[in-house]
Amino acid sequence: MKTKLTLFLLFGLFAVTLQAQDVDEIINNYFENTGGLDKWHAIKGIEMHAKVNQQGMEIPITIIQMADGKQLMKFELQGKELVQMAFDGEVAWGHNFMNMQPEKKDNETTENLKRSKGDFPDPFLDYKDKGYKAELLGKEAIEGTECFKIKLTKTPKLVDGEEKDDIAFYYFDAENFVPLVVEQEIQSGQFKGQISRSTFSDYQEVDGMYFPFSISEGIKDMGSQAIVIDSIVLNPQVDENVFKFPDTNAASEESEGNK
Amino acid sequence: MKKILIVACLLGSWLVAGAQNEVVLSGEQLFGSMRARQIGPALTSGRITDLEGHPTNDRILYVGTAGGGVWRSMDGGSSFAPIFDKYAQSIGVIAVDPVNPDKVIWVGTGEIWTRNSTSVGDGLYKTTDGGASWQRMGFENSERISSIQINPKNPDEVYIGVMGPLWGDSNERGVYKTTDGGQTWQRVLAGTANTGCSELILDKNNPDVLYAAFWEFRRTAWSFNSGGQGSALYKSTDGGKNWKKIHSGLPAPDKDYGLGRFALALAPSNSNILYAAVEAKQGMGLYRSDDAGETWHYLNKDFNLAVRPFYFSRIVIDPRNPDVLIKVGLFPTISRDGGKTFKGLGSMHADAHDVWFDINDSDRFYVGTDGGVYRTWDGGNNMEMVNDLPVAQFYHVSVDNEEPYNVYGGLQDNGSWFGPSASPGGIEARDWTSVGAGDGFRVYRHPTKPYVYSEMQGAEGVWRYDIEKRQVRNIKPFPVPGYEELRFNWNAAMALSPNVPDRLYLGSQYLMRSNDSGDNWHIISPDLTTNDPEKLKQDKSGGISLDNSGAENHCTIFTIAESPLNEHLIWVGTDDGQVQITRNGGKEWSNVTANIPGLPANTWCYHIEASNFDEGTAYAVFDGHTANDKNTYVYKTTDYGQTWQSIVGEGVYGFARSIQEDYVNKDLLFLGTEFGLYITLDGGKHWVKFTNNMPAVPVHYIELHPRTNDLVLATHGRGIIIIDDISPLRELNQETLQKEVHFFATKPVVMNDHSDFGGGSNGSQYIGPNPDRSARIVYYLKKRHVFGKMTMEVQDKDGNKVADLEAGKKKGINIVSWNYRMPPPKVAKGKTFDFGGFFGPRVPAGTYTVVMNKGKKQYKHQIELLYDESAGIPLADRKAQEKMVRELYNKIQELAYLVYQIDETIAYANKAAEENKKLRKSAAALEARLNDLKKELVITTGDNYVGTAKKQLREKLGNLYSTVASNYQRPSNTQYKNMTMLVKELNDAQTRFSYIKSKELARLEKAATKYNLKGLEIKPFEQFLKEYK
Repeated sequence: MKTKLTLFLLFGLFAVTLQAQDVDEIINNYFENTGGLDKWHAIKGIEMHAKVNQQGMEIPITIIQMADGKQLMKFELQGKELVQMAFDGEVAWGHNFMNMQPEKKDNETTENLKRSKGDFPDPFLDYKDKGYKAELLGKEAIEGTECFKIKLTKTPKLVDGEEKDDIAFYYFDAENFVPLVVEQEIQSGQFKGQISRSTFSDYQEVDGMYFPFSISEGIKDMGSQAIVIDSIVLNPQVDENVFKFPDTNAASEESEGNK
Repeated sequence: MKKILIVACLLGSWLVAGAQNEVVLSGEQLFGSMRARQIGPALTSGRITDLEGHPTNDRILYVGTAGGGVWRSMDGGSSFAPIFDKYAQSIGVIAVDPVNPDKVIWVGTGEIWTRNSTSVGDGLYKTTDGGASWQRMGFENSERISSIQINPKNPDEVYIGVMGPLWGDSNERGVYKTTDGGQTWQRVLAGTANTGCSELILDKNNPDVLYAAFWEFRRTAWSFNSGGQGSALYKSTDGGKNWKKIHSGLPAPDKDYGLGRFALALAPSNSNILYAAVEAKQGMGLYRSDDAGETWHYLNKDFNLAVRPFYFSRIVIDPRNPDVLIKVGLFPTISRDGGKTFKGLGSMHADAHDVWFDINDSDRFYVGTDGGVYRTWDGGNNMEMVNDLPVAQFYHVSVDNEEPYNVYGGLQDNGSWFGPSASPGGIEARDWTSVGAGDGFRVYRHPTKPYVYSEMQGAEGVWRYDIEKRQVRNIKPFPVPGYEELRFNWNAAMALSPNVPDRLYLGSQYLMRSNDSGDNWHIISPDLTTNDPEKLKQDKSGGISLDNSGAENHCTIFTIAESPLNEHLIWVGTDDGQVQITRNGGKEWSNVTANIPGLPANTWCYHIEASNFDEGTAYAVFDGHTANDKNTYVYKTTDYGQTWQSIVGEGVYGFARSIQEDYVNKDLLFLGTEFGLYITLDGGKHWVKFTNNMPAVPVHYIELHPRTNDLVLATHGRGIIIIDDISPLRELNQETLQKEVHFFATKPVVMNDHSDFGGGSNGSQYIGPNPDRSARIVYYLKKRHVFGKMTMEVQDKDGNKVADLEAGKKKGINIVSWNYRMPPPKVAKGKTFDFGGFFGPRVPAGTYTVVMNKGKKQYKHQIELLYDESAGIPLADRKAQEKMVRELYNKIQELAYLVYQIDETIAYANKAAEENKKLRKSAAALEARLNDLKKELVITTGDNYVGTAKKQLREKLGNLYSTVASNYQRPSNTQYKNMTMLVKELNDAQTRFSYIKSKELARLEKAATKYNLKGLEIKPFEQFLKEYK
């Protein structure tokens, strides 16, 4: 791993000396530096075990994402498991915190999850085939670090019933070509019009690939919440049932998440 | 010179001088996580210059302000967000692309309501991504852009009106056209050196038709002129190629004064109908044309139609009805009969500048005033203020020594105020106290008495307000025998003595001192100004319309500074560029202006800062913009003014108004310019712009709080902005910048005992954020952390981990907050959550070690926590509370372990029964016994809301624990008794469980071994605590 990292950094140094950068070079460098396109193409699922710290309380979370769009995010609190969001490709749902019963997400959220399928395992992977558009806007320092700013336009999303472009601005480290920050305008809800900002750090190796082990999610110029990843399993064995909306008539005990 | 400054600013990089391998850092890199805090207030809001809507979405509103940038509401004015913070904040006009309104927006900078205090713009800007990023499209020297008109059939064809500079000649004024979206421009109608385009209208129904109003105008620091032979109305019918004057029926230009400013409007629903309000010596008033400008007829000259044209020249016509129009003014008026008669609108702040009619319903419209945006739902009968626009224009700020400290300051047209720097739930509108009327300027708190001093424009009122007794005394001085009439600046100089609590200074042309808090005044200087008679003709100022509000009063003292080291040493700076010093309390004065190299004569001395380090040292800031000189002038003397040197090194952009010296590091200085805040670490050789949540707003005054080290900024457009605790900057030098990681020394942290009742203002009201009361761990990273693990934790003095923290990983200064709490206890698993158990206990005061693991390296740093002495809680009481919290914390975890064991045992019993039928009976007996026990320990039914079940031991313990843990006093007797009772219940339960284990469980296990089943395995307590979440 050490050799790999050193090589990787050397490569990074070499790469910045290149005169012109086009968007595909940057994206290719990113995939090459994080394991190579073959490895990226081989990913069919990712399972992450992570924790968030809220007011000093450590809350373990599990995130599973599959190539067919299925996904799950659950957390554990006082010995109980609650599903924040699960999606089986058709139905998105989560537990209500008050009665701890499963509830379906609204139709727009569900529809937008369907439209986000191409984001796995990385929105930039084969982005042209997915109908996404990437555009290099230039070099820009973000939080003091020189980056390439890339505008990524994905499948349009539904916002309050209207189709809107799904645009995200990626900041790739100009030295190592890994994404450091993603910004996106919030389209609905209380923070509509504000910019959401995710920052990535602590890139570490998993089976010859590199992933950020620390992700901060927040609103630009406001607070953020860090997700610290303990482990990542590539291509995990997952019981398909975990993504499915539980049959509430039969399974009130199960839905409470008793282990 | 200016070009160089701009380049330096754009590069934004800064070299720390001297060392060989210099670390080069820009503002964001250097300041890292240090962020400005915009505390508002929004209760008065501030001057609005332009309103603009969206062609199809009636919920979107754009607001241009005099000094606070561009704001957008997506919800009809309930809430706003700024979208133009990086650029000049003085806005002339906003235009939304009619074809691509969600993406393309244009902003012309530079206010066009040309009052004395107006700021400046620096060009035309365009966004093509809805405001996320902006490009300048030229006109850097235009200073003021009045109009942007976009061809609705071809949005690449855009016309702009350049009104141009207010204080000097310019050859860039006129009407410009682009046909390529702003890449290239052609001037299609030129102004003159002093006549610019003040209004430009494109006929949306026939985009070849344009109307332009030209205005001849000029300000100096001591006069204003509106009018001249250049002022005229023009029309083009061929896309700007040819223009003709359209004055038929309008008043003829006066032979001396010409004509003045026009307000001009074209009815969107009928291209033949125009209205023009005309400023003229004879025939001033409102005119209408029904033939597209060929001829005009006079309608009327109501007060509001003719008042102060330089400030109020706008007419807005209902988009659906050409006979309904609003003329802005001191109080705006509406006509519903084609301009024949007018009536007032509902009550709102005076001085309206623009109106926006809703695209669907003419009864709904917005009015922009000197006091924010007002909205009506009923055709203007009732107006309501929107509450989320913190664009107040402070002239000055001062602070007191309360805890939390208050900030004091006066506002353009919105009185004088003080408010807290922190408040439970955030700083809300209701936290602010009014302490003056009119235009407010400098406001101070008496150092020892409950007095607040405030003033109104030109010292028309000078008040001493006893805020405890609510008594006001007007202490303004009156002329006395042997002296001239007193002359005060609009923004009259007032200053406290840093040495004598009851001493107060006022500056007219004389320096006046009171040693009894303003009861009596003594003149302690001769006239310290140039007393130039040519600059004392304010009664003739205004041009066509006389305008002697006092705003142009000149040859006055503007800044006063008594040395903090010597009460007899006083500096005075005047608006006509004189710097004077006395070293014997006013007996003798010496004028040291001539010693200042490179300073143009009579350049306004805006601020003098007497040094804290040495009485011979002072800083002087000069502002030449009212003489059309926008250079930066900042000087330092170390010999009582005998010699001065410029400290405007690299990196500053904009004319400056205020400087602040640090109290510890004499090379650390803060400079406020028209485009933001600049900081130097090397005495002025290099300056770095501070941009973290800090807009490019005019900074009129800077104060540094001596106790908190908070930098407090009076901005003229974004209210008060605070940068909390700048002390880390004191340690920044080339040596620290070279280190991979450097922890900054921080003061011991007082753990705040204040309660948090408060907040609750509704969602549409602006709430200023509070300072972070946590323990702050501040460190510098030479490089952003990208690869490998980086963690941070806090350990107590024995090396036990008490908290995990999220390490900051930015290049530059990182600030990590710790709320000095431990993780909450591990709580027993039940059917529902125990909310009491979500609460982590506060750690005791003492020294803690922050351990940062970054890759393979480890860094340690110590921080100290103190109890809040002001809370008055004896140490023994705090220790008793901590002890009880600790005991309850442990008991909660013991209970969690007990319930875990019960659950595991039940699971074992179930498993045994499943494995072998013969075990079912004893398994069932065991399970029944355990369930009986468990239901007294935790809730086993209900939900987390109102379906809550009866509280069991877990909930009772959690309730007592969280109550005791969230207070810091000695626990009460009932709390102790309650604990005794609950602990007994827990002990009893543990005993019962042991008994069940020894009987029913032992029986089952014994039977199970016969069938080769393993016995029950239970994790040890420590392992359970580690693994259970």
